Amino acid sequence: MDQYEYWLSALSISDRKKMMLHAYMKSAKGAYYIEETSLHRFQFLNETDRNTMSQAKKIWDLQGEYDGLVKKQIRLYTCFDPEYPKKLADIPDKPYALYVKGNLPDERLMSVAVVGARSCSRYGEKHAYEFAEFLSGHGVQIISGLARGIDGVSQRGALMGRGKTFAVLGSGADVCYPRENIGLYGDILEMGGGIISELPPGTQPRPYHFPKRNRIISGLSDLVLVMEAREKSGSLITADLALDQGRDVYALPGPVDSSLSMGCHQLIRQGAGILISPEMLLEELGISGGNLQEKKTEAKKMLESLENMVYSSVVLYPRNIGQIMDESGLSAQEVLETLVSLEIKGYIKEISKNYYIRV
Amino acid sequence: MSFSTVLSASMFGMKVEFVHVEADVSNGLPGFQMVGYLSSEVKEAAERVRTAIRNSGLDFPAKKTVINLAPATMKKRGAAFDLPIAVGILLSLGKLDSAKVRSMLIVGELSLDGKVRKVPGILPILAEARAAGIRTCMVPRVNAAEGALVEGIDVIGVESLEEACGYLSGTLCITPAPYPVQEHAGQPSHGLDYADICGQGAVKRAAEVAVAGGHNLLLIGPPGSGKSMTAQRIPTIFPPMTLEESMEVTKVYSILGLLDSERPLIRERPFRSVHHTSTKAALAGGGKVPVPGEISLAHEGVLFLDELPEFQKNVLEVLRQPLEDHQVRITRSQGNYLFPANFTLVAAMNPCPCGCYPDMNRCTCTPGQIQHYLGKLSQPFLDRMDICVEAPRVEYEALKKGRQEESSAAIRERVCRAREIQNHRYRGTNILTNAMLGVREMEQWCALGEAGEGLMRQAFSRLGLTARTYHKILKVARTIADLEGEAQILEKHLKEAVGYRALDKKYWGR
Repeated sequence: MDQYEYWLSALSISDRKKMMLHAYMKSAKGAYYIEETSLHRFQFLNETDRNTMSQAKKIWDLQGEYDGLVKKQIRLYTCFDPEYPKKLADIPDKPYALYVKGNLPDERLMSVAVVGARSCSRYGEKHAYEFAEFLSGHGVQIISGLARGIDGVSQRGALMGRGKTFAVLGSGADVCYPRENIGLYGDILEMGGGIISELPPGTQPRPYHFPKRNRIISGLSDLVLVMEAREKSGSLITADLALDQGRDVYALPGPVDSSLSMGCHQLIRQGAGILISPEMLLEELGISGGNLQEKKTEAKKMLESLENMVYSSVVLYPRNIGQIMDESGLSAQEVLETLVSLEIKGYIKEISKNYYIRV
Repeated sequence: MSFSTVLSASMFGMKVEFVHVEADVSNGLPGFQMVGYLSSEVKEAAERVRTAIRNSGLDFPAKKTVINLAPATMKKRGAAFDLPIAVGILLSLGKLDSAKVRSMLIVGELSLDGKVRKVPGILPILAEARAAGIRTCMVPRVNAAEGALVEGIDVIGVESLEEACGYLSGTLCITPAPYPVQEHAGQPSHGLDYADICGQGAVKRAAEVAVAGGHNLLLIGPPGSGKSMTAQRIPTIFPPMTLEESMEVTKVYSILGLLDSERPLIRERPFRSVHHTSTKAALAGGGKVPVPGEISLAHEGVLFLDELPEFQKNVLEVLRQPLEDHQVRITRSQGNYLFPANFTLVAAMNPCPCGCYPDMNRCTCTPGQIQHYLGKLSQPFLDRMDICVEAPRVEYEALKKGRQEESSAAIRERVCRAREIQNHRYRGTNILTNAMLGVREMEQWCALGEAGEGLMRQAFSRLGLTARTYHKILKVARTIADLEGEAQILEKHLKEAVGYRALDKKYWGR
């Protein structure tokens, strides 16, 4: 990485043209020192591009900007660097450069992308967390987008599994979006993971950045898990990109009447793998899981009969007191009392006022 | 005799101030002068009185007339001084029997043709008059029934100035207004009943507990789930109002002139539903000369705030002090105004802006939106809601089930019993209901057995309770135990109370 590469990658011309310039001139430095009068010889550059370049040369403070980048502890890898991820180098529309805070994924290890809806259900959340936790506990790197919902949850799960996780952002690598995930952002770095972006530092998130960054998420991974997706969603775009890039796609099945699982079911119908359990996935990937059977057994311990009745009405989807009353035929007092004792015992959880789910 | 004085009175907040109306008619340059720190509506009385006297067939002589309203340091407001001024002038002219006027209090507004119009605040004024030992009062005919609610005082209702003169000169006999006949005993007829509501068992139960212990209630649920319907029926399960309570509520309504002239006494617990665009003054009371606000109109009844997060934050904050003190104090440079405000607060809200959370198949809100929505409520305000319950969407089956729902009367019976237990227990203290218990009283009355202690210890660590929620749970559990007639708070009471706790905001929308 040098100041010329930073100049070239921050230029607002297309990645393809940057790569061509870099290739013709053998380096970004060469591209920087092209005489303005000879720029027209590069046929692929149009009028606007030429103007952009000469303009950028005038206002860009080579050393100052570069020092700023170093100060932010962000490193830059162009696709001509040997460190540039091999997996990503193979995809058709790879980015010219990656800005990385922390580390890049280890190429020797398996990387799995976990993606899904931002407004997800507890069901999706739970499984995203568990899959990520389990996989990362077995040395798999988890790649996602630090977004709300599935993304963030799976990365938290990965951290809980004491593994490394990498976030690909739709903003500059130094811009945490959404703000509420700032804790996660810090934890990812602390655990030796990385924050990756193709956008220059300081770039604010824009809606059109996100579909583009999805190709990097799938590009960096060996396979893509879709946890929950509506029929038209960004996660399906990622899945499509992943298929184009030759990655395997797995989807988590859900209830057939849940609109949040429609996207996943569509993928399965088109031939995506089915996520049944983390162990099975690990087996399919050919990673020995070690002692797989240590999974916690269902909470079927000594519950009183009333508690058993109520517990059987509480499922992984939030249900309210009224529904449980109708199903069990108990009175409001009895149901409430029993729910509270189940909650105190840790079998269920109140996620919104009087809405309960199994833990 | 050219000088006379007539006793009248005026309202200052809930306080009654007696005003002496002095009239002097003497020879000199003809004119009409009024003094005594008067507001403009009192000053305008000059024209009304002069014309009314003339139009009543009486002579208004071209003399120098001076009216003084004493005490002179107190600002006088309102149109209730018209009649006493007219009487004072006529008395000075020697047309009335001064002995009759001497021990009498007179209030009333005059219209130009001599008719006497109604004025607000008759009930508190007369109650105060009786306490001061006055035996007879002259009030507008429309207000006579209201005045007659005060026992031990003769209320003379007059239709016009002519009638008043007739009575005061002894030519006309008016019998004091009788005590208004109203269904006194017996149950109030709201026309509403809990039997009308299908399903919603948990909400009804929560309402029962809330009323039994005087707890504030927060209903959370999607639009159209019957939150308002439930709230409207809460007054139907209150114990019937005692006469004192009725009188106190009627006084508040009297000040605002909101009483029915035929059946003035308010026998039904008020239910005040406040729109979320209300201002601080509308809610708590206020104005240049403070008048009671909605919280005082809901005295001894229910104040219902629908769409709670839509209220302006500072508007909700004014409720905090009245919720603690059960009265509201409004301070102006002229003095303090105290209004009663012992109400049960019932609030309703959606769980998120679209109302469908946590049903993620239907909810279209982002977590940020939900947080923002809940952020509009302050934690101190949420902390004042003892009972929090979800009102679920009603399914078609529940509507069609045709199950016999419990009537309000049956619920009210249980509530009354629980209230009686509380009255008995707190006799000799200024506590009325479990909701009013302080920390020290709780140690005395809400002692837990060993099992209960264990449960609470577990709940504390498992559910992340705070000291404040802990005390609220104890109070609610006390009420639930009272509903069952148990002297000791048992585990099951605690469990139910734990289920009613208000969710901490940080766990909400997660």
